Amino acid sequence: MMMPEISFNIDHGYLEGLLRGFKSGILKQADYLNLIQCETLDDLKLHLQSTDYGNFLANEPSPLTVSVIDDKLREKLVIEVEHMRNHALEPLSTFLDYIKYSYMIDNVILLITGTLHGRPIHELLPKCHPLGTFDQLAAINLANTSIMLYNAVLVDTPLAPYIKDCISAEDLDEMNVEIIRNTLYKSYLEDFYNFCKKQGGATADVMCEALAFDADRRAFIITINSFGTELSKEDRMKLYPRCGNLYPTGLKMLGDCDDYEQVKAVADFYPQYKELFENSGSNPGEKTLEDKFFEHEVKLMKKAFMQQFQFGVFYAYIRLKEQENRNILWIGECVAQRHRAKIDSYIPIF
Amino acid sequence: MDALLRSEEMTLCQMFLQSEAAYACVSELGEIGLVQFRDLNPDVNAFQRKFVNEIRRCEEMERKLRFLEKEINKDGIPMLNTGDNPEAPAPREMIDLEATYEKLENEMKEVNSNSEALKRNFLELTELKHILRKTQTFFEEALHDPSIAEERVGLLGEDPVSRSGQQKLGFVAGVILRERIPSFEVMLWRVCRGNVFLRQADIDSPLEDPITGDSVHKSVFIIFFQGEQLKSRIKKICEGYRATLYPCPETQAERREMAIGVMTRIEDLNTVLGQTQDHRHRVLVAAAKNIKVWSIKVRKIKAIYHTLNMFNLDVTQKCLIAECWCPVADLDRIQQALRSGTERSGSSVPSIINRMQTRMVPPTYNRCNKFTQGFQNIVDAYGVACYREVNPAPFTCITFPFLFAVMFGDMGHGLIMFLFALFLVLKEKQLQAKKIQNEIFSTFFGGRYIILLMGAFSVYTGLIYNDVFSKSLNLFGCQWVFPSSVGDYRLEALKGTDKILVKPNGTFTGSSYPIGIDPIWSLALNKIAFTNSLKMKISIILGIVQMFFGIALSYLNHRHFQKPLNIIFDFIPMVVFLFCMFGYLVLLIFVKWLKYSSTTAQEPPSLLIGLINMFLFNYGDSEDKMIYSGQQGFQSFLVVVAVLCVPWMMLGKPMYLRYMKRYGQFKHQPLSVNSGDLMGSRYEEEVIHNPEVNGSLHTEEGVEDEHENFSEVLIHQVIHTIEFCLGCISHTASYLRLWALSLAHAQLSEVLWQMVLRIAFRFSRGWGAIGLFIIFQVWAALTVMILVLMEGLSAFLHALRLHWVEFQSKFYDGTGHMFVPFSFDHIADANPDE
Repeated sequence: MMMPEISFNIDHGYLEGLLRGFKSGILKQADYLNLIQCETLDDLKLHLQSTDYGNFLANEPSPLTVSVIDDKLREKLVIEVEHMRNHALEPLSTFLDYIKYSYMIDNVILLITGTLHGRPIHELLPKCHPLGTFDQLAAINLANTSIMLYNAVLVDTPLAPYIKDCISAEDLDEMNVEIIRNTLYKSYLEDFYNFCKKQGGATADVMCEALAFDADRRAFIITINSFGTELSKEDRMKLYPRCGNLYPTGLKMLGDCDDYEQVKAVADFYPQYKELFENSGSNPGEKTLEDKFFEHEVKLMKKAFMQQFQFGVFYAYIRLKEQENRNILWIGECVAQRHRAKIDSYIPIF
Repeated sequence: MDALLRSEEMTLCQMFLQSEAAYACVSELGEIGLVQFRDLNPDVNAFQRKFVNEIRRCEEMERKLRFLEKEINKDGIPMLNTGDNPEAPAPREMIDLEATYEKLENEMKEVNSNSEALKRNFLELTELKHILRKTQTFFEEALHDPSIAEERVGLLGEDPVSRSGQQKLGFVAGVILRERIPSFEVMLWRVCRGNVFLRQADIDSPLEDPITGDSVHKSVFIIFFQGEQLKSRIKKICEGYRATLYPCPETQAERREMAIGVMTRIEDLNTVLGQTQDHRHRVLVAAAKNIKVWSIKVRKIKAIYHTLNMFNLDVTQKCLIAECWCPVADLDRIQQALRSGTERSGSSVPSIINRMQTRMVPPTYNRCNKFTQGFQNIVDAYGVACYREVNPAPFTCITFPFLFAVMFGDMGHGLIMFLFALFLVLKEKQLQAKKIQNEIFSTFFGGRYIILLMGAFSVYTGLIYNDVFSKSLNLFGCQWVFPSSVGDYRLEALKGTDKILVKPNGTFTGSSYPIGIDPIWSLALNKIAFTNSLKMKISIILGIVQMFFGIALSYLNHRHFQKPLNIIFDFIPMVVFLFCMFGYLVLLIFVKWLKYSSTTAQEPPSLLIGLINMFLFNYGDSEDKMIYSGQQGFQSFLVVVAVLCVPWMMLGKPMYLRYMKRYGQFKHQPLSVNSGDLMGSRYEEEVIHNPEVNGSLHTEEGVEDEHENFSEVLIHQVIHTIEFCLGCISHTASYLRLWALSLAHAQLSEVLWQMVLRIAFRFSRGWGAIGLFIIFQVWAALTVMILVLMEGLSAFLHALRLHWVEFQSKFYDGTGHMFVPFSFDHIADANPDE
């Protein structure tokens, strides 16, 4: 079609409108300022009542715990996303499915690590993110090799193609699981990237930028985390998602890195990442690199809302909402543990 | 009269409430619902206010009540709603209430967990029972069916010797959710590489899930396998799929024995379960009796503490300071309430209420009864009146249904509407008690008095239009005589047609039909021409009269707010302008009606052309068609006067103000000159009882700005003038909708009669009755749906527009804010879900 903007609203107008309504419910800076003044979790609840969250905690008996808040926050997001998924038409429905895949990967990895540590499956299953559950997940404790994992669990799921690269008959151990996670993620990101690119138009513009950032972030973090482990440089190279701004030269340089300083040197070639690395640190008063990345992500996601008639807003909303949940939980934890010194290191959204 | 015309006189009061008496006082005030409290700590967070703990306790109680209510609903026990309105309990009773709810909730939770455990047990036993029963059939089939026997051989391998002894075929039996079976089967096959044999059978009756209480469908399955490794795998899959496995003995005798044991245990469990259910039921029934009253009580407590949170604390911490708006007329009742509140709390120091002087704009409070409420809502939907502004609602009570009826005039349709509204009005009490939530119904119900009047007025205008379902009534005898000798009216000429051309000359007897239109017009070919002319003129007359009335009301406003300048520079030129243009037209209409009789019906000039020519000063060839002598001079004079009104309105006030400013006659009291607003000085003599504790609070909101500068006044006045002058013309034209809608309504109902009902009259004798029976129903349904509902809605909307735009724009500002008293009324009515 010549101009997808013209016909966009026929299929997806309702959901986009709905979503922009949801978006205006995201907590503002003023709300956070009120939240960090809370003395107890009940104060937190009282304040959240006056926001878009409304009475979502009204039926919970006092005293509240952070995990109850977590569950409820997640439940609210899940209801919203499921509602949108149920009303979505192609290609938006596939797009939303893609977003769900990342949760599926997380769940698979969560369960495998859980069973490796000998936890019973029925204890682990409720911990899974509801957006990423599927029937076969339950049989995951059968999988003690990656080949079994593929055969028993993933073969019928959309994740099946992603695991192709790391099927082996070796027993699963923590190292393996990490590799599987990163390989799955890598293939997933690349697949999602190509899907978005195929959509073209504003969707491709917005989503490719977002996914490229995600890919680069993974590459950096994999590199930093790999120092001091037995992961070889060749294996590490294989785990980098090849759809980011770093690809191909940046990734090659990252592959040769041996310590944090060298990673920083690689980042210096890319102005957007240079800034993130420069202002981060683990000293008090400085923000961690992880937070820096989150901040940058929030900035990107907010930008996604600037354009209409594209799917990026759906991705951005879910991302922002996840960030908001992290913020609320962080504040909640600080309040609950009476550890107020770092309470304001949440990441404001609007 | 003043009470209806203007909103209540309000005053800002300050209350000093002893801390121990504050709760009781606020409770009393909530019962009478006459004061609106101001939030004195708007900058304080919700969770940092004084009574936040009490509010939290209330929320906790509400949660418990919701929990109880959910349980009561689950068991389908009716909740008693006596409709009585308990007083807010004293603060010390709150602890009792809390304890009661706590006890009930705990009891309920205990009962629930008990019954859940019992139900789980019961479920397990039932599942086991089903397993034993279904597996029995599996085993029997296996024994008798040769094909399965063969399969077993195949499964066991080629060597028949091993079958007898050590290589025994193992099996597990269990129950699984029915919808999971397909993926379960696939998974089994994949993981065990096809080396298992699965049989499954549905359990026919649904089972109850012990946690959620939903009924779920399950299936029994039995898996045969060989070897320990497979067994552990199968068990893991079963675990993952939440299938429950049960031990199943291998021999038939053991199975039977077990089945008998299970049956007896199920029976035992059933009696225990029954007792638990009875207990639960008793507890819930007891709770159901009180739950409505309880939740009202809790909500009242919560509302009181919310209000107390808006108060300021005195420096000595001894008393709370509140500020509120209240009607001056009700100060005594408020005093009374405060006194009884203080008494109730046993406090020795009385609570004090003081009137305060303020520059804030008071809220608008119109006292309404159930009749005027609907009309007041119509007005408020446009905008809430400014404080003490003329309230159009009392006039709307009559003009609204009347203008509606002008458009809807039909006795039949009006009667249907009237009877429907009458039903609502007569059954008012019962319907209100039912609390029907349907939005459409509540709209009709809320406007029942409006609909009643609309129906009644429609019957009246229907009588004037002589219209009943598009037919006319000949009640008083037609006043037209048609001599059969005259050309068109000969019998032979009439035979071929059903319409005749009615010419007044020679056929009209001279005395008119006593009320309304002569029925002869319903047969006339020139009916439309006649009614159009009549209805158009009526619309113009009604419109101009209503607009004049609106301008007259603006006079009342100017006088009340003491703005003499507005009377001279706004009101008078407005009246003159409107009269010169359209008031004169109305006069001409009457003159034309009175001056020309049926014999001179051909002579009178067209008013429309006359009006256009009047503004064009074009009197060329129509000299002979003047209605009176000297018309030309008089009309020219009127036009000149009307044109002069424009600069008068536009420049008069700003010029005057400028002049006054420059030559300082009024220099020392700019307040009264500038806006003519004496509001501030009216209370000057009154002794100020209290030094303002919190003076800075009052300056923020709603204080009128007195110093308007010249250019602002000028621009405002120019806009106002243009709006009015253009408005006069467009509004007059707008009133023609009265005619248009009335015409449309009459034509539609005529079409419906001719096209639908008349078909039935054309049938031959035998079929006529049946045909009429069927077609009448179609006609009646269409009449109600299209003519009464749809046309009624459209006429309603147009009447609404005529009031909001054409009428109210002449005098109504509508920029006030509503008085929202703190009242318990809505708490008692409110839906518990909200």
